[in-house]
Amino acid sequence: MDQQAIVSLILILLTFALYIGISIYNRAKATSDFYVASRGIPPFWNGMAIGGDWMSAASFIGMAGTVMILGYDGLAYIMGWTGGYLLLTFLLAPQLRKYGRFTVPEFIGDRFDSNPARLIAAIATIIISFTYIIGQLSGSGVVIGRILNLPASTGVMIGVVVIAIYATLGGMKGVTWTQVAQYMILITAYIIPIVFLSLQITGNPLPWLTYGNIVSELGAIDQELGLSEYFAPFDESNRAQFIALLFTLMVGTAALPHVIVRFYTVTTMKAARWSGAWALLFIALLYLSAPAYAAFSRFVIMTEVVGSPIDDLPAWTEPWLNTGLLQIADTDGDGVLSWEDLVIHQDIVVMATPEIANLGVFVVGLIAAGAMAAALSTAGGLLITISSSFAHDIYYRLLKPDATDSNRLLAGRIAIVLATVAAGLVALDPPGVITQIIAWAFALAGGTFFPVLFLGVWWKRMNRQGAIAGMLGGLTVTLTYIFLSMAGITLFGIQDTGAGLFGVTSNLLLCIIVSLMTPPPEQRLQDEAVDLRYPEQMTYKDGEVWINDEQAK
Amino acid sequence: MRKIEKKKADQYFKIRTTLIVVFLAIGFLVSFGVAAFADVILETGATIMGMPAHYYMGAQGAVATFVILLFLNAVISDRIDKKFGIDEKQNVKLSGGGAEH
Repeated sequence: MDQQAIVSLILILLTFALYIGISIYNRAKATSDFYVASRGIPPFWNGMAIGGDWMSAASFIGMAGTVMILGYDGLAYIMGWTGGYLLLTFLLAPQLRKYGRFTVPEFIGDRFDSNPARLIAAIATIIISFTYIIGQLSGSGVVIGRILNLPASTGVMIGVVVIAIYATLGGMKGVTWTQVAQYMILITAYIIPIVFLSLQITGNPLPWLTYGNIVSELGAIDQELGLSEYFAPFDESNRAQFIALLFTLMVGTAALPHVIVRFYTVTTMKAARWSGAWALLFIALLYLSAPAYAAFSRFVIMTEVVGSPIDDLPAWTEPWLNTGLLQIADTDGDGVLSWEDLVIHQDIVVMATPEIANLGVFVVGLIAAGAMAAALSTAGGLLITISSSFAHDIYYRLLKPDATDSNRLLAGRIAIVLATVAAGLVALDPPGVITQIIAWAFALAGGTFFPVLFLGVWWKRMNRQGAIAGMLGGLTVTLTYIFLSMAGITLFGIQDTGAGLFGVTSNLLLCIIVSLMTPPPEQRLQDEAVDLRYPEQMTYKDGEVWINDEQAK
Repeated sequence: MRKIEKKKADQYFKIRTTLIVVFLAIGFLVSFGVAAFADVILETGATIMGMPAHYYMGAQGAVATFVILLFLNAVISDRIDKKFGIDEKQNVKLSGGGAEH
């Protein structure tokens, strides 16, 4: 093991010790004083936990690399993944909080009073979270592969073991505070390298203010090399694909089961609104930094790597060549490295750039620890979602209503282990880059859930037949489009990552048409939907609104 | 428990809904609106913070707008609640104080 590997491993182990310490500490407190622990998480801290839960390997490892390779076209990820919080906070989170259930399938099952709808929602939740986990495992494979100097697929296998152990140890309790710690570590790890890069390149320590000029300069360098300009729009894709991808990511964000669940941990609708605002602020810190990361990285490669002799490569290339994620071919045979000779896998950009820029073993190790925090916190949230969908919604509420607590816990544990191992097998040879795999999860989430949740909250006439037709139709259309476009059959040039556009539209239409063609829901269910328009203190009953202002006894 | 005029309750819903529609429209304009005309904006040669304007909006402008909109929503909604005599402490009590969580 070289020095870099030792430093990285020590940092990763230290942060792991911190997470485990936090969950042990919180568990003890929760049993000794149940009510204090359950009074609700303050919106500020819940926002930070949402940030940790939400920002996964795709945000941390994948996004900057995607922007670096795609230029302007990569920015659909930045706008889509943040814009979803508008839809979530305005249209869903407060209302779902007032309805007061524990999971998304539970809301759908109870709002439409339908067990078939509950089952479909639970299965869809498992499919979405499963796809999402493949991306996390793939990301931890990149990190572990680099540190231990192994192929990425071996890194994935180690990642599977680590995540499976972590998820069963971490458990349900104390997960909020662990995610707060993971957020702090991942954001520190992300910002430190770009501050140093900014200092190195422009002499100013604030990357957000300085990288604009670098972007313009990159355009000029590209022009000189005969490439298309870095900031030129719709160069790597087309306008329809850009808009479809933006739409898919935005709507998918608002419908992800593991994110929605985090809004149940606050007390009121007001707290849900504030949680959403704080969450996006914390998320924006990383999302505003990713394009800067991308620009600096491309600038360093363009000015310091491109043009060096090919038989005397810098030392940082060797471990990356071993992972199989960096390839160098002297295509024009002139012995000099050109931009076209470099095949840089976009998932290695965040980790490799600090090495390329010689920022030292500590910064590189910090990045590794941050990336593991991002992958672990999200994988933890996802595995809990999968296990609750299976153990709570399917096993307990549908199959065995008389199941004991310990039976349900066992069912949940089995679901976690099976899901991790199965996702790990798929991630050994990932079917796409991380951001692409994650985009599928968003397409599936939006296509299955968004219209059903949106109309379920805002349209009292929406009924169970509409919900079932919408979910089945949306899921089918999304899956079909992903497979067709991977096989090369596309509409308007929209690729697999933009599949949500078709899924969401067909889901919405099916919900409305089928609901109108079938009898309206019972008055009780309609009243429940109208009640969601008002804050907790106001209650809707039989066409009247009541306000509860009795003093606490 | 006392009854309040349906008209007043409808008014509450209407103000909240208008706020949501306006904010979402702004949000769509800075993201989808700018993206749809990105090539046109590039041709104008406009720059913000040293980079082409369409790139700035995608990389920073839209995200910053989203954050501002969410905080404005939280602050304004609190004021609306206050105006309609909604007491947050009562809300907390009624939602069970999160005791089941």
